[in-house]
Amino acid sequence: MGARVRAIDTDAHHQLRGIADLKPYLSRHDWQRLEEFGMPRNSNLYQASGGFRGARADCFGAGDDVDPRSRIALFQEKLLDGCGVDFAILQGEYTPAVLALADLDFSAALCRATNDWTLAEWVGRDPRFRLALTVPIQDPVLAVREIERLGDHPAVVAVYAVCGSPRLYGQRHYDPVFAACVKHGLALALHFSNEGIGMNPAPTAGGHPSYYAEQYLVRPQFYQAHLSSFLFEGTFEKFPQLRVAFLESGFGWVPAFRWRADATWRSLRAQTPWVKRPPSEYMREHIRFATQPFEDPEPAGALTAVLDGMDAEQTLMFSSDFPHWDFDPPDAIVRRLPESLRQRVLVETALETYPKLPR
Amino acid sequence: MSVGEASGGGRTPHPVCAAAELPPGRRRIVTIEGKSIGVFNVGGRYFALRNRCPHRGAPLCEGQVVDLVTAPAPYAWENERFGEIIRCPWHSWEFDLTTGRSVCHPDSIRTKSYPAGVAAPTEHDRAEAYEAAERGGVVVVWV
Ligand code: FES
Repeated sequence: MGARVRAIDTDAHHQLRGIADLKPYLSRHDWQRLEEFGMPRNSNLYQASGGFRGARADCFGAGDDVDPRSRIALFQEKLLDGCGVDFAILQGEYTPAVLALADLDFSAALCRATNDWTLAEWVGRDPRFRLALTVPIQDPVLAVREIERLGDHPAVVAVYAVCGSPRLYGQRHYDPVFAACVKHGLALALHFSNEGIGMNPAPTAGGHPSYYAEQYLVRPQFYQAHLSSFLFEGTFEKFPQLRVAFLESGFGWVPAFRWRADATWRSLRAQTPWVKRPPSEYMREHIRFATQPFEDPEPAGALTAVLDGMDAEQTLMFSSDFPHWDFDPPDAIVRRLPESLRQRVLVETALETYPKLPR
Repeated sequence: MSVGEASGGGRTPHPVCAAAELPPGRRRIVTIEGKSIGVFNVGGRYFALRNRCPHRGAPLCEGQVVDLVTAPAPYAWENERFGEIIRCPWHSWEFDLTTGRSVCHPDSIRTKSYPAGVAAPTEHDRAEAYEAAERGGVVVVWV
């Protein structure tokens, strides 16, 4: 890189224009099936979201029926050029639905096709895009196959996993996926979605809430469940190089979780003795939190306590969630941060988390 | 009773009981100089700890005496140092019977620097330990 990197966006969401985009990347058999039945849709338990159809209402300039997530020119104008973002990591809008399929081979075929399409049509047209690979993580054998196929592509920097899953991710079922991530220098990017969908447990630990607002509010519980699994299953003892990006998890809860995790370990350590250090130390080394949706702690001073309590200098990195309705622009976010954290959050922590990003 | 030889730190020797009354694997809780103290026989060696947990004051010496459970790798439990650990009856903090040190924050960890947000181990992490031994058929604690 000649010029200095200004900002790295660790979470943006692109979408297909339509199923025809995938035709060149599917077998004749899989294409016929896609043509007949269409793409699986992200199941929405509420028929509701924020913004306009879940996206920024100011991004529908091409008409209400053109999904802004599908417009590369919009990303270039409003995110890359408009916000001074030099690299944006794409987590496909289509991914959760693909990962919710019980038919693993068709899921794997759609993973391959969407990855190939993204690399050709997004990364191939603008080198500022990077991809978190969509892999059929429900089936680690097939997931590893896809990581082996594309893990060394220079634009592939992570493997994308969603919070709704039949099993907690620390469980050894997933170890081959993490081994493949480490082998190819990829982070694991964990993002909400698919909670309560298909074979997955309810969208909150207490059951099904009535409203989208409730589900939105309590999302951190899914990250906490997976985090607790990573910590006590010894994932980071098994994979000392693995880094996990928590995207859209929020971060105000992190200090309190750390206190509680350390206290729990201190009392119950002997049951999982491979957890050799206080959980907060594994968190500091392995878990990275994206800024969006940026919480606004009160009273004044509370944000400082949160940043200190999560070792934000090491663990916090910028994300915009473009073009979703709860988007955060980088300039407004860094204004909330102390000077000493700004470059860490905008650039450096992401470079440490995703080793394949150019530096 | 001839228990007079001095031990470390100019502490005073106190007879606890006849050695036969404290066989291996057993403990006695006695009061010495107004302090409640647990005296343990671990495989023929004697150890003594203040019967007060540094965390929230539980009667530590009434806790379970257990092995040190370790793991060379995830899912591989191994028991070592049989019967040398005491687990506090209240919140299950483990202490090394032979030194009073916390298992979770032994001195080797204590000297590390702890960044903001991680509670630095403190005096909390050590139970007060005393020397104990058998002298002429009598179990003695130096307090
Ligand atoms: S009082 Fe002993 S562990 Fe809390």
